[in-house]
Amino acid sequence: MILSRYFVCLTVILFVFSQQATARANYQDSLPVTRGAELSLYAEDNETNCLVCHGKLIYTLTDTVMGMTRKQLMSEQNLVIPGMFYNSVHWSFSCLDCHSEEFKIFPHSIEARFETSWGCIDCHGYDPNYEQYGFEEIDAEYQKSVHYTATDGLITCWKCHDPHYYNPLARQTRGGREYIIRSNEMCLRCHSNAEVMGLITDENVEIVLPKHEWLPDVDRHLEAVRCIDCHTRMNDSVLVAHEVMPADSAVRGCTDCHSQNSILMGTLYKYAARESRDEKGFVNGVMLRNDSYVIGANRSKLISFAGLLIIGMTLAFALVHTIFRIVVKPKDQVHE
Amino acid sequence: MSKSFYHYPAWVRLWHLTNAVLCLFLIVTGFSMLYSDPDNALVVKFQRAVSIHNVCGVLLTISYTLFLFGNLFTSNGKHYLLNIKGLGKRLWKQGRYYAYGYFKGEESPFPVSSERKFNPLQQVSYVGVMYFALPMLFITGWALMFPEFILKKFLGFSGIFLTDQFHVILGFLVVIFLFIHLYVSTMGKTPLSNFRSIITGWQESH
Repeated sequence: MILSRYFVCLTVILFVFSQQATARANYQDSLPVTRGAELSLYAEDNETNCLVCHGKLIYTLTDTVMGMTRKQLMSEQNLVIPGMFYNSVHWSFSCLDCHSEEFKIFPHSIEARFETSWGCIDCHGYDPNYEQYGFEEIDAEYQKSVHYTATDGLITCWKCHDPHYYNPLARQTRGGREYIIRSNEMCLRCHSNAEVMGLITDENVEIVLPKHEWLPDVDRHLEAVRCIDCHTRMNDSVLVAHEVMPADSAVRGCTDCHSQNSILMGTLYKYAARESRDEKGFVNGVMLRNDSYVIGANRSKLISFAGLLIIGMTLAFALVHTIFRIVVKPKDQVHE
Repeated sequence: MSKSFYHYPAWVRLWHLTNAVLCLFLIVTGFSMLYSDPDNALVVKFQRAVSIHNVCGVLLTISYTLFLFGNLFTSNGKHYLLNIKGLGKRLWKQGRYYAYGYFKGEESPFPVSSERKFNPLQQVSYVGVMYFALPMLFITGWALMFPEFILKKFLGFSGIFLTDQFHVILGFLVVIFLFIHLYVSTMGKTPLSNFRSIITGWQESH
């Protein structure tokens, strides 16, 4: 039973990788080969040791004993497209910074193949340089997410965020619609494909669109809202929540988002306020032109009403006192 | 026979005037933001109200800091030192005077003098406003400009929502204080004499 579950998960992961490779191929042509004008210090080492094979769809295999050569097709899950790698945030790394030195030897040993992959938290966790991104909190959220709990952790960070090609979407896309579309693509790679989802569970899995037909104006919602806005537990201390919940726990109530005291509103407010300040500075971005305030966003009708009532009572009290002063005509008082 | 004495030094009058103008702007724009909706701007257009409110809030923080220094390094600070002992009794005495004795022509139990600027009720409310309400308004107001420092959740509510509500409630307290402050100021020798004092600095007394 455990073995069959393992094989199912393995198949899913391989399939997910193959889907990602297709997506990469689509992006490949549009991306530069180097990151700006800079060239990685390890570009030559990477090329000699690894990318000479793993950076090409067709590589040449040499038998040094027999002096024979042969062209082979690189499997998609072992392919790293150099142009996309050197455009990612990890562009300046050597392959061997993350992969075992044993990979330098070819054919690769079985020990090398059993290496444990680093996770985001292994490098970015508990490092003051990355404190602002909250990797520790993201990791804690991920471990509570259904991606982790339902697959025994086999759906790792890399299944959505390939470290070879990773670029922060928010910074890469300047937010807006493109950000939402690209963010949702990450989910749809698997969740819009009934075959992939069918490999994960025996239940009759519906793919994304039919499941959202209950939403009023479904197209506008799917264009304007990230999947994770409803399917993760919202947390306004990290920019992108990672605790993906089981489908039946997703947000379904209109007022959960369209209300004055929603956590979503808090997240958006913090994000918009920080963006405005970073872009335009404190005076222009916060004091003079602060678009993060929204009319009625944090309004409590009860408190607004109670405030008016108490002010009204104060004025009424002053009025009564004034009437007494006029009627009784107190003697000449010296009083502050 | 009444005589006048110099009661409000120039820096106090200047600070009081700045404080008053900024508070008025803050109250008007605050109300405008709180009760406006997209179709009805109430007093000022929402985005303009936000800008004015923020600028006045920052200026008031600066003016308040100067006031604190003034209280720390001049004799004005002594008027804000509460003597807890017998305070309840003194408050009752002053309250009774406002509600009853005043109309019966009784002497003010705590007449204003160069040594005593505030009667007990005034002292408690001024200390409350200057040392509690205003600092808390500054903290919550600044927090709303730097929302990443606000707790994400507290008692099941969004931290921003609670901070904002606390700011609004304190704002209401200051408005109530302002109305009482203005009304009590009309209870001087004549209804306008106290207003004259805070402009000229000279206070009339027995």
